[in-house]
Amino acid sequence: MSGDKEKDKAKIHKLSLKGSSKTVAEFFEYSINTILFQRGVYPAEDFTAVKKYGLNMLVSSEDQVKAYIKKIMSQLNKWMIGGKVSKLVVVITSKDTGEHIERWQFDVHLLGNSKSSSKRKSAEKSGTGDKENTVPDNDETAPPTAAATVTSDKTEKEIHDEIQSIFRQITASVTFLPMLDGNCTFNVLVYADADSEVPMEWGDSDAKEIKNGEKVQLRSFSTSNHRVDTLVSYKLVD
Amino acid sequence: MATTSVLTPIKRRDGLFSSRTAGGRMPLTPSPKTPQRTTDVGAESIHTGGNLMARFSRSVSKNHHKDSPKSNIVRSTNSPRRLELGISDYTLTGTGPSSTRQTPSKSRREGSTRAATRSGKTTVRVNYNAADRFIPNRTASEAVCNVGTGKLNREDQQQQSRPKSSASEASSVLSNAASAFDLGRRGSEEDATLSLEGLSIDDRDEPTSYTKPAPDQVAYQSELEKACGVNLNTRILAFKPAPPESSRPIDLRSQYNRPLKPATSTADAKHRRRILTAPERVLDAPGLVDDYYLNLLDWSSGNQIAIGLERNVYVWSAESGTVSSLLETSADTYVSSVKWSGDGAYVGVGLGTGEVQIWDVEEGKQVRSMFGHEARVGVMGWNKHLLSTGARSGLVFNHDVRVAQHKVAELVSHTGEVCGLEWRADGAQLATGANDNLVNIWDARSLNAPKFTKTNHRAAVKALSWCPWQPNLLATGGGTHDRHIHFWNTTTGARTNSIDTGSQVTSLRWSGHYKEIVSSSGFPDHSLSVWSYPTLVKNVEIPAHESRVLQSCLSPDGQVLATAAADESLKFWKIFEKKPGSGSSVAGAASSSKGSIVKQMTIR
Repeated sequence: MSGDKEKDKAKIHKLSLKGSSKTVAEFFEYSINTILFQRGVYPAEDFTAVKKYGLNMLVSSEDQVKAYIKKIMSQLNKWMIGGKVSKLVVVITSKDTGEHIERWQFDVHLLGNSKSSSKRKSAEKSGTGDKENTVPDNDETAPPTAAATVTSDKTEKEIHDEIQSIFRQITASVTFLPMLDGNCTFNVLVYADADSEVPMEWGDSDAKEIKNGEKVQLRSFSTSNHRVDTLVSYKLVD
Repeated sequence: MATTSVLTPIKRRDGLFSSRTAGGRMPLTPSPKTPQRTTDVGAESIHTGGNLMARFSRSVSKNHHKDSPKSNIVRSTNSPRRLELGISDYTLTGTGPSSTRQTPSKSRREGSTRAATRSGKTTVRVNYNAADRFIPNRTASEAVCNVGTGKLNREDQQQQSRPKSSASEASSVLSNAASAFDLGRRGSEEDATLSLEGLSIDDRDEPTSYTKPAPDQVAYQSELEKACGVNLNTRILAFKPAPPESSRPIDLRSQYNRPLKPATSTADAKHRRRILTAPERVLDAPGLVDDYYLNLLDWSSGNQIAIGLERNVYVWSAESGTVSSLLETSADTYVSSVKWSGDGAYVGVGLGTGEVQIWDVEEGKQVRSMFGHEARVGVMGWNKHLLSTGARSGLVFNHDVRVAQHKVAELVSHTGEVCGLEWRADGAQLATGANDNLVNIWDARSLNAPKFTKTNHRAAVKALSWCPWQPNLLATGGGTHDRHIHFWNTTTGARTNSIDTGSQVTSLRWSGHYKEIVSSSGFPDHSLSVWSYPTLVKNVEIPAHESRVLQSCLSPDGQVLATAAADESLKFWKIFEKKPGSGSSVAGAASSSKGSIVKQMTIR
């Protein structure tokens, strides 16, 4: 009986998680594009401006880059919906030396996690988690069931505003980030749960951390289910 | 011990580490215990059989085994079962949930071999928490020794286990030694698995012994994770395919100072220029013959439009808007083509009978009549005093309108009705297109044979246009079964570009102001399309008429396109509107196109 209930709960949760995951995944997609543009990984002519989050977001219009990001995003979406992602990292590497020179890290925190598949995770967090304060989450995609009576406390507008300020920060960060010589490439890392399904194209990697890097914490945003923190670390030029 | 550590190749370590990171561990940072760890690694790889080696074949070297007599012994004694366990060990560590189970199972085995389960468990705890770090491994191996498996191997194991466990103790303090810990565990497990081989174990006591150590292990592991700042339940995954290469090196300095929307971008070309898509004016053209092969519309340099409507030619003044009937043919024929002379004073009129008349428009009088063609004259072109006429017979004649013996050249090549004919602006080359699907490019100095004959079109070629800014560039458009616009270098005869327009191309006009060309469409689109050249991006498609567009011509200032269509209407499109203030060929840059044309006339 109680097992049934739990199953039910998980179901509702999963549905509401979907919309939130979508928002976060979309944020990632624009983040990757913005970083590629702002940090000059690809020439500026390859990018076109689109209106998003009340900003002119620059997304790549170069077919190969588009396809590459699309491939990443399609898998990331799956993982996001499954709640498997704990970090997304964009590493910028020098083509000349192979050295990692910049690392953009987006930490994903599942809020009010009651998913059966990540019990262990929540158990780990039990020491710090504020269990009593977690609200059963849902958003507009949730079916109008009993759980849906509790509305999310943030409107879409507020979320977008939060995201907007992150992008403003990313854009502004070029002022303090060291000059890149332009001959750079990038990699995308995903910190996923160990039980995630991993397609062929993805493989285990090291964290590609920057040795003795400077770290700057940027803003965060949160949806009903996720909180995303942004951190950029970069190599100090001496 | 020292020898084994020496024997461990660097390569081997790499291979192992990559497999270990499957468990989500951070890369190993060098610690004082590192050599010991690698010792373990080496020994382990030796124990494992061929199957596993194949899996990590990159890192396993043959001579490695040869160098180590001990390992050889171990292998010979234990290989079959060793192999099995070795594999399961690897696969287990690969996934999260099983890695937690793995540890208890180790202690379980240990315990069962010693037939004293409880003590086995406690020793594990003691091991990692503090106190006597040697106990667990030694006891395990001692038990095995008593049973009587290879003694030499036991010694080896024992030696290894010592530094291992010490490393593991250190790791609870050192945050970066996560994997040292893990390897330590694995080492002791190895002992256990070895001992498993030596004994036949009663499996039934497993469940009980499993449940008990589990909480300890979980607590221990979470503590470990906390201490190391590493989550063993996550793995770092990289998207492996290499990102696409940047098309060119980037100087960020210029990038930060550039405007958001680059003007040069092809993708933005669409938005760069606003093209008016509504007609400026619509006139009725009743009785316009719906025939693809005729050319019934022309706009003079004097800003007058001549249009042939059945048996009549009307002249419409674009300045005053007045219409006058220029001529009416005899009842047995009809007007098949009209063409203004370069100065805008005369209009050539081709008739269905093959007669070509020249009219003085101002006087409203016929100047002369020229015969020669035996079939209708569907297309004409002026080159100063020369009038070229193309007929249904496929013949093209050049007439010198000044002399009595007007026919000065006969251009024989086409076998189908000639419906396209354009002189290059400098009069050096003549392009003709016909119903035989051919495009001929003639050199004005040798008209015996075409300089180039192009067979690429698969339908009749009516649309021909010379590029105003690149003299040797010719655009040609094919009919219903072809639908292509081809671009030619008329110096070399090479085709430089092609567009599939998706519909019959009835006319082509280059813009003088923009690097663009406009095409008019017959079936099925009935539209006007403006293309950028050389990018061939379609800037705009205007659904222009209700039925197919038959002819088009540009105003003398190059801004307005007039189109005549089978829906019997004549429409004016300001598709090449000049931006105010931009320098232009037309003097004065007057506010209205009409004004500028007036000025141009006075200059002339």
